[in-house]
Amino acid sequence: MAKNDLQGALDLLVLKTLAQKGSLHGCGIVLHVQRASEELLRVEEGSLYPALHRMEQADWIQSEWALTETNRKAKNYRLTAAGRRQLQQAEESFEQLVKGVRGVLRFA
Amino acid sequence: MSVFRRISNLFTRSKVEREIDAELRSHVEMRIEDNIADGMSPRTARRDALLRFGNLTTTQERVAGEDLPLLIENLWRDVRHACRQLLRTPSFTVTAIITLALGIGANTATFSVVNAVMLRPLPYTQPDQQVDVVSMNRRFPDGEGGNLSYPDYFDMRSRNHTLAHLVSYHDTSYTLVEAAGPVHVDAQIVAWDLLPTLGVQPELGRGFLPEEENAGSRVVLISHALWLSQFGGDKSIIGRTIRLSDDSFTVIGVMPATFRFPMTSPQNGIWTTLAVDNTPSDPSNESMFNERGAHFLNAIGRVKPDATIAQANQDITTIAANLARQYPKTNIRHDAAKVRSELTALVGNTRVALMIVLGAVTLVLMIACANIANLLLARMRERQREIAMRSALGAGRGRIVRQLLVESLVLSAVGGLAGCAMAYACTPVMLSLIGKSIPRAADAGVDLRVLAFVAGISCLAGLIFGIVPAITGSKTDLVAMLKEGGRTEVSGRDWVRSTLIIGQVALGLVLAVAAGLLITSFLHLQRTNEGFNPDHLLTFVFETPDARYKESRPEFYREYFNKVRALPGVQKAAGILIMPMTDDGADITFEDPEHPAPEGQRAGANVTMTTPDYFRTMQIPILKGRDFSDQDTAASSPVMIVDRAFADKFFPGENVVGKRLRPGAGNGGEPQWREIIGVVGSVRLSATQRDMRPEMYLPASQLSHWCCLHTVMRTTVDPLSLEPSARQLVASMDREIPVTEVRTMHDLVSEQLSQNRFAMVLLGIFAGLATLLSVVGLYGVMMYSISRRTREIGIRMALGAQRRHVLSSVMREAGSLLAIGIAVGVTASLLSTSLLQSMLYGTGSRNPAILVLVSTIAVATGLIAAYIPARRASTLDPMQALRTD
Repeated sequence: MAKNDLQGALDLLVLKTLAQKGSLHGCGIVLHVQRASEELLRVEEGSLYPALHRMEQADWIQSEWALTETNRKAKNYRLTAAGRRQLQQAEESFEQLVKGVRGVLRFA
Repeated sequence: MSVFRRISNLFTRSKVEREIDAELRSHVEMRIEDNIADGMSPRTARRDALLRFGNLTTTQERVAGEDLPLLIENLWRDVRHACRQLLRTPSFTVTAIITLALGIGANTATFSVVNAVMLRPLPYTQPDQQVDVVSMNRRFPDGEGGNLSYPDYFDMRSRNHTLAHLVSYHDTSYTLVEAAGPVHVDAQIVAWDLLPTLGVQPELGRGFLPEEENAGSRVVLISHALWLSQFGGDKSIIGRTIRLSDDSFTVIGVMPATFRFPMTSPQNGIWTTLAVDNTPSDPSNESMFNERGAHFLNAIGRVKPDATIAQANQDITTIAANLARQYPKTNIRHDAAKVRSELTALVGNTRVALMIVLGAVTLVLMIACANIANLLLARMRERQREIAMRSALGAGRGRIVRQLLVESLVLSAVGGLAGCAMAYACTPVMLSLIGKSIPRAADAGVDLRVLAFVAGISCLAGLIFGIVPAITGSKTDLVAMLKEGGRTEVSGRDWVRSTLIIGQVALGLVLAVAAGLLITSFLHLQRTNEGFNPDHLLTFVFETPDARYKESRPEFYREYFNKVRALPGVQKAAGILIMPMTDDGADITFEDPEHPAPEGQRAGANVTMTTPDYFRTMQIPILKGRDFSDQDTAASSPVMIVDRAFADKFFPGENVVGKRLRPGAGNGGEPQWREIIGVVGSVRLSATQRDMRPEMYLPASQLSHWCCLHTVMRTTVDPLSLEPSARQLVASMDREIPVTEVRTMHDLVSEQLSQNRFAMVLLGIFAGLATLLSVVGLYGVMMYSISRRTREIGIRMALGAQRRHVLSSVMREAGSLLAIGIAVGVTASLLSTSLLQSMLYGTGSRNPAILVLVSTIAVATGLIAAYIPARRASTLDPMQALRTD
């Protein structure tokens, strides 16, 4: 059941971030996760970009080049319909994981 | 290469990578801006951003690694890497490619020819139903079989129950007179149902009708080639009347360009019905249709769909036996028959030669595969350390195997291409070596299926021997391999490669011995005395049609030969019915009052007819008595001359001059009793005959009905330079007679030996190839062994070993491999060369001189191949050697 590994968690973070913010570039995703988790979570750039690329290949997200507020060219990502379904699944399975782990921790 | 690289980058890698690069860079830039906004100095901001990001290139590659389209790109990278690897070891690469090229090329060429001649079905409809029918003598069940006579043929055709068709055919030739002048055309006289039997349709017009066998009918089918060359491909040819040797024929059809019948005479230009044989050749004589004793017909049949060839054989044999009972006088020697598949009958004679070639091909293919295997094994050992290093750096086994696979594939592909080129280059050469003497060879070309098969086999060997060590290699203990890899070499572990080398040497030796035997035979045949002097002899033949020359031939030839003798450059000239060295012959029986025997059991000998001066022209010695002279005419008393073999066989120890015999060759009427007036030396009738055959010479001047005499001219100048004046001379006597088969006696002899030469040349090439490949193999193995032992040799030398010790230790290793290989090879060839027996002349199949010679050559070449690496080992600088790993 709990097939959630690190990569699954990263996917979930990225998908959720994009779901909340609509369209965002890689740097923005890193900063958002950092802020939203109150500096508890940090997404490694070395893992983020391969993950973004993979999710794009899987058609969960799509990308386009756009200008940032500081007039810099950046690649922005947004969720696709498939991505939304994936996010829902990932969220459910994460809830299960958390429930399961918490259960084990309480038992002790 | 770089062009492909650029193109491929343009479309895949660079686009993806540039985008990834841009994205990552923009990320870093944004970070820097953020940091500056947080109050850092620009330098610190940049440093922090880069630190946070980590290794930009690694990230970039990891992103690219997620990309599916880039998989192909990676494969391409592997190919490029493989090419670089192969280029880095040119000696290995070149050896492997040459081996593949020779193996694939030579084998494909040979196999294509063998396939075209032996294995390919006949180009007719349902060829497996087609049968060859010959008459047999019950006392010689293993004989080649004889021809049928017209009455026998008609009886077999009407009485059998198993054949849908039975078609007689025999060759003839016509002089076709068209606008361009007279041309000689080979023709076949066939039964009407030839085309239904073969299942072939004419390209133009129609086939024969049954009623066109009736006396007086004159219709022909012409070949595509004749239609183009003589009639300009004119479609109105159908229905036209053409003149063939003073007779008129109507053209009813043109055969397709690919049509060949019979297979043995691809040049045949005209087919006509047996109606032309249904005319008495002279008023006193009966038609050939009634001469049961005249056995000269070939027959091809088609078995009924519900019958088998064995049933047909039974059926026709019974008919032949009944005919022999019914007509013992003519058929006592034809009291059985043999029906076998047409293809078997056609291939029959050439089977042994082709089988030998096929065997040689297989051996060379095995040697080539062994060579490839050996090279790859040696290379893999060399690279085990590299592979271990890669695994240590994190390459997965799949990744390593994939890359080695790509490397093998690249090598195979290049070798395969070279092999294809070789095949296309070799096939025409091989066909020209075969000459026209082997049926169907003319239609052979590179067989693509064969090419694919041989290339597949060779490349498969490459793949298997490339992959197996790759897989086992990637399993090895990394630490141990890295620690000791490349530093030690226990030669005992090399037994696989040693076995391969021994096998190669042995196979090569078998081939070389076989080639040696064939070469010895060939030289023997060439050296053997023909019984006459073949230098400065020109020969040709022309037809003297019965319509005009039947009775006047002696006068015509007398006048003609007198004119020939008067030509400048001609020393002597004469005529002969059947040329020696052509494997042609007419065997007839003779009556001998001293050894009377009933008809049908009389002794027979070869017979031919000559003009006076033939023996002096050929320089055949007249041993006793005299030559024919112009005084021997139809009016004078009948005479004959026999050769020494005849006298020795039938009258040993007696003086035959003055004896009277009756050879069964008449001039229309009963054969005459003839007095033997001379004995001459024997000549060889065929280049490959083992004993001299008894021969009777009759004077052409007393047998005017026999056509036609070959001219032989002894010249004082280059024989072929007299061809124009000879042609002119014949044309001046009869404008409508074409001169054919103009050749020197030397050409004729060499044509006769073409099959032997073919086998010899091919086996010679294969033996050379095999020796070359095994030498290359030995060299390769020794070279690798040395390079692996560099360190060991260095230590030995540092400890005081002399150069010559190193040299001799390497040579000993090579020598023992060679010795075992030669021992195996000698044993194998002693056991196998008896297969060659029927191709050998003047030598047994176990010739110790050849065995010794071939073994010596094998030892010499092998030691030379080993000497180069051995010398290299012995000249190593110990310090240098110790530093290498």
